[in-house]
Amino acid sequence: MSLSCQGLHFYYGQHHALKDISFEVKDACFCALLGRNGSGKTTLLHCMNGILKPSSGTLRLDGVDITRGSAREIARNVSMVPQERSEMFPFDVLDVVVMGRTPFLKMYESPSQLDYAMAKKALAMVGAEKLAPRNFNRISGGERQLALVARALVQDPSTLLLDEPTNHLDFKNQYLLLNQIKTLCRKRGTRVVTSMHDPNMATLFADRVILLKYGRIVAQGTVTDIMTEEHLSDLYETELKKIDIGTGRSVFLPASVTT
Amino acid sequence: MATESIRNNPLKRITAVFRGRRKVLDPHKTSLGRTGYRRLQYATLTGLVLLAILSLHTGRLDISSEEIRSILWSAGTGIPLDSELLSKSLVFFQVRLPRCILAILVGMGLSASGAVYQALFRNPLVSPDILGVAAGCTFGAALAMVIPGSSFALVRIFAFIFGLAAVFSALGIAKAVGVKPILILVLAGMVVTSFFNAFVMILKYMADPYNQLPAIVFWTMGSFSRAAWKDVHTLFPLVGLGLVVIVMLRYRLNVLSLGDMQAKSLGINPTMYRVVLILISSLIVALTVATCGQVCWIGLIIPHIARTLVGPNHKQMLPITITLGGLFMLLADDIARSITTAELPISIVTSLIGAPLFAFLLYKNRGSGWI
Repeated sequence: MSLSCQGLHFYYGQHHALKDISFEVKDACFCALLGRNGSGKTTLLHCMNGILKPSSGTLRLDGVDITRGSAREIARNVSMVPQERSEMFPFDVLDVVVMGRTPFLKMYESPSQLDYAMAKKALAMVGAEKLAPRNFNRISGGERQLALVARALVQDPSTLLLDEPTNHLDFKNQYLLLNQIKTLCRKRGTRVVTSMHDPNMATLFADRVILLKYGRIVAQGTVTDIMTEEHLSDLYETELKKIDIGTGRSVFLPASVTT
Repeated sequence: MATESIRNNPLKRITAVFRGRRKVLDPHKTSLGRTGYRRLQYATLTGLVLLAILSLHTGRLDISSEEIRSILWSAGTGIPLDSELLSKSLVFFQVRLPRCILAILVGMGLSASGAVYQALFRNPLVSPDILGVAAGCTFGAALAMVIPGSSFALVRIFAFIFGLAAVFSALGIAKAVGVKPILILVLAGMVVTSFFNAFVMILKYMADPYNQLPAIVFWTMGSFSRAAWKDVHTLFPLVGLGLVVIVMLRYRLNVLSLGDMQAKSLGINPTMYRVVLILISSLIVALTVATCGQVCWIGLIIPHIARTLVGPNHKQMLPITITLGGLFMLLADDIARSITTAELPISIVTSLIGAPLFAFLLYKNRGSGWI
């Protein structure tokens, strides 16, 4: 069982945003997408979620081509935590979270008590049960992020896509959230694909890393293989240094800072 | 708990909102509790029924409660009426009853469409004529009034056809442009509205200033004075069916109001629902405008009042919107036909009440994180 992508291309009009993307994410794999701004991370996630339709190539989820699936079928298997959030009506946070049950509802149905219970449980999983009765528009950016992660979890996905999930989160919550997602990935075998900006976070949590540059995969593989000074210096077009911090761990810092 | 009782008691909630004591209510929560919602629904439904009974008593001709009772008794049993009651019976059955039903239907239809449009366009300041349906109807009606051999039936048919034509043009433009569908729809609506308004101006300019021009002007202000059973017969099944579909799909409106991308990732095809819901709402608006002319403000303000009372969740907000719409429209019509000896056009009343009330609601909702 896996998510596999073969020879995927995507064009925004004339702009060739994704070029020949091929990779595979196995069950219980935490996969990090790294790349500079505009490298195509979000576009790739949107293709995997059916929001964008790839111009060519295949995307198979457990052997089924999801580019042909309906939004409902995709949403039952793949859920997404979006990066940009626009204004909405002042819903309660619990009402926002319970919307994750939409793909399991019939056209004319509303969420049941059970769905609400699941939504509360998902909020508790991200440590945000206290947010349930609050107005979504009046909570902080980080709290909204947690709520949206809870909404994605309520969809009970086999693949969880996150677009820069640690944006807006405070120092503690960044680790808390990624730890929770890692646990979920391990315990339930959820495939996680997340775009990230911090290579050190990727080193800490990811099993596999995909490096995207100008819409092309420049390297992919396990953390030990990929997270090297050469690869990352090339990816970010700036010289990076790997610094040993003991206990077998190391961090990457720009060379300009370390000198 | 004091706040709990305020939250669950619709009357206390209304007074709390209107006295600016939203903080007492709950600084964070916007939605009304389950019990509170049920009570509010009962309260508004009871209000609607009471107002309907009152409306049947209202009018230039005095018909007392006893007379209404004997008119209804005779209609039910077939026992002939006293001769003096015959004319009153005629007024009651042929004028007041259809007018009352029609006002409720129009109010419900316009406010439900307003709520749908506001959710689809993710903007609480949108009214159901954003896609040019009202402008199209006005042009159709005006055209039918100036062409030779016009009749009132023709006015309605033309209004309906051109109202829908306006919506289809806006949808067509948006489809041709293809990007940022919501924004483009609003802009396309402006284009269509402006275009039809120009034609209305041409018609006004060319119309005979003694008969046709006043007729056009009067029509744009709306009135229920021509209400008859045949209108009820057309509107009831169509508007009723539209309302049923909207109510059934109301939870989807929550998801659609998050925007296309999120709706899609939550398993909803936004384009399909948008087209279906826009067509249903526009059909309702075109039907109502073709029947009673333009009625301002109802479609904009009623969803707002409902949202202020029960919160933005359409599961609860939409049914309240529908009952309140019927209630408010009926009230406006009662005022229109009883405030002066000559009947006022309905839009004068709805605008006079609606505009200041809307300003007040904007002020009161300033802390909700939306406006």
